[in-house]
Amino acid sequence: MKDDLTDRILVVLSSVLMLTAVYMIFFYAPTERVMGIVQKIFYFHLPLAFMAFLSYFVAFVSGVLYLVKKDIKWDIIGSASVEIGVVFTTLVLITGSLWARPIWNTWWTWDPRLTSSLILWLIYVAYIILRMSVEQAERRATFCAVMAIVGFIDVPIVFLSARLWRTIHPVVIKSKSIDMEPAMISVLAISMAAFLLFWITLIRIRSRVDFMELRIRNLEKIKRGGME
Amino acid sequence: MGATLVILRKDLLIEIRRKDSVISMIFFGILLLFVMNMAIGIGRKVDPELAAGILWISILFSSVLGLGRTFSLEKTNRCIDGLLVSPVAPSSVFVAKNLVNLSFMLISEAVIIPVFFALYGDNITVRLAPLLATVLLLNFGFSSVGTLFSGITAATSRNEVLLPLLLFPVITPLIAFTVKATGEIFAGVPFGEYSSWLRLMAAFGLIFSCAGYLLFDYVMKEN
Amino acid sequence: MDDTAFLKIQGLRKSYEYVDALRGVDLTLARGDFLCLFGPNGAGKTTLIKIVADLLKPTSGTVEITGGPDLDSDIRSRIGLISHQTLLYDELTARENLQFYSSIYQIPDPDDKIDSLLHTVGLYNRREERVSTFSRGMQQRLSIARALINDPVLLLLDEPYSGLDQFAATVLSNHLKKLHAQHRTIIMVTHNLTRGLETADRIGILSEGRLVYLKDRDEIDLPSFEDHYLMHMETN
Repeated sequence: MKDDLTDRILVVLSSVLMLTAVYMIFFYAPTERVMGIVQKIFYFHLPLAFMAFLSYFVAFVSGVLYLVKKDIKWDIIGSASVEIGVVFTTLVLITGSLWARPIWNTWWTWDPRLTSSLILWLIYVAYIILRMSVEQAERRATFCAVMAIVGFIDVPIVFLSARLWRTIHPVVIKSKSIDMEPAMISVLAISMAAFLLFWITLIRIRSRVDFMELRIRNLEKIKRGGME
Repeated sequence: MGATLVILRKDLLIEIRRKDSVISMIFFGILLLFVMNMAIGIGRKVDPELAAGILWISILFSSVLGLGRTFSLEKTNRCIDGLLVSPVAPSSVFVAKNLVNLSFMLISEAVIIPVFFALYGDNITVRLAPLLATVLLLNFGFSSVGTLFSGITAATSRNEVLLPLLLFPVITPLIAFTVKATGEIFAGVPFGEYSSWLRLMAAFGLIFSCAGYLLFDYVMKEN
Repeated sequence: MDDTAFLKIQGLRKSYEYVDALRGVDLTLARGDFLCLFGPNGAGKTTLIKIVADLLKPTSGTVEITGGPDLDSDIRSRIGLISHQTLLYDELTARENLQFYSSIYQIPDPDDKIDSLLHTVGLYNRREERVSTFSRGMQQRLSIARALINDPVLLLLDEPYSGLDQFAATVLSNHLKKLHAQHRTIIMVTHNLTRGLETADRIGILSEGRLVYLKDRDEIDLPSFEDHYLMHMETN
């Protein structure tokens, strides 16, 4: 019940923050001179990409923890992360495409960074397919943990391979300076915070469904087994 | 090490008697070379990079056929239980199966690559040493990831279907490195200009052979 | 018989997603005990064997194989497993299969041993033929030889009689009696009441993941045991 309350608070908070972010993106942040209104999609695109990456990282850590501790909880958290990561990566690809159409004059180009995002999407969709193909819970958890670990090891390699080609993707955030107006930065920060909270809420709700399923199954087992 | 060689010997002996893995790999590889020739227009001259792509597509797709068999062989009559009850470490099984896959790939490549040169060799510079290095490095990376995943898919009901779905997304960087390197070899570029691709391929193989070596334990026990 | 515990199973549980296969099994065997477990399908018999063989991790509880002072260090390499699956490679000959397993167990100079095992299971004359050409009974006999290659002190048998012809079943029973006489510890699960009661010296019934009956063979009054057995078969 306490979890329930936390979830509700999280839902309310992330909704408020998300609405604030949307408001600020459209009414506070200055319109970019060259790209115009289209540039505003960037405030969604970047946080989505960030959270997708965070999801895969969480899945990797959960995978390691599952293999070490054999606690099904880590499988549930890991799979929730991957599912949400895949949804977010899909949105990254779509928002990127929407932006690229007017700016680069094409829906898709084989720019390395786009290609990397697509490869990550493929790796984690494969994870979901694997998940659907294994019946038994422990076996599924082990295999998915291995897949999450292997997939995440692959992430830097995928990105490295991308950097070795010439890129046409705009590099907005460089290591030292940020190539944006201060107002844009603060809007981006709010948008990031909104998406982070939204992400936490989604992970909690998604994994809670699995935790409840687990409890129901245990109750059913006890009921069938009689005395336990 | 002893157990690794024993398993390797056993698997090679079985393959010598059955012959089905290597023969299907070779046949499918050559088939793909023909199919792709039709797809690009029969007899059309191809530039070196496209030729490299064609070569690797046939090798990669045909190699998946063999990959699925090497591990599922242990599931017939539950031979895997015999290995698991024995003192043999799962990581030795990983090394053995990896070597089995490497040998199957090498044998099939020894046929597929000459056929490839016969069909597409017109615009291509043939340099054996660097090509052999590329082949070995690709095999190493492909087989390391593939052996680990074949352990996973052997325990599912959709073994042969699932394996390429898991494998290809993960090895895309390796495929990219390989095609780049091979394209430059075929174009006759000096070694110094593509050696960095070979180093990347070696790094890929090392990373995933270590990962497979460590993770195979968990995978094998779920079979 | 040696009184020190050879095998100690404590609070063994195994839960799957939809069923609990084992719900707390406690069992202690002395060295040289021959336990035969009966029980209806789904009672958890195979699960128990697999956990003892370390093929499966229990959800909770422990299996301790102490072995005894003379062999505690390498006890894991002295386990033999016979199940209704043969664990043999179809494309290898009878002898190659045994050679493979003896290399896996790093047995020095295995040739004499392989020959004598092939003689005992009556396959010496067909030693150079591939397993795929063997009948089910012959395969199972070879599987017995395979399980004995590492001279096991603990022998685990999961439905070894299923699919056996009379000859193979007799070979198996005779061999089990011989091993029992040599103080090997044996756990067998089977549906075959006659064979089980004929060879084992301790009899148990596993039902719904619990050990509901455990007695020495000598204390058992046969007709009442059969009633007991049938009762458990029916509740399932």
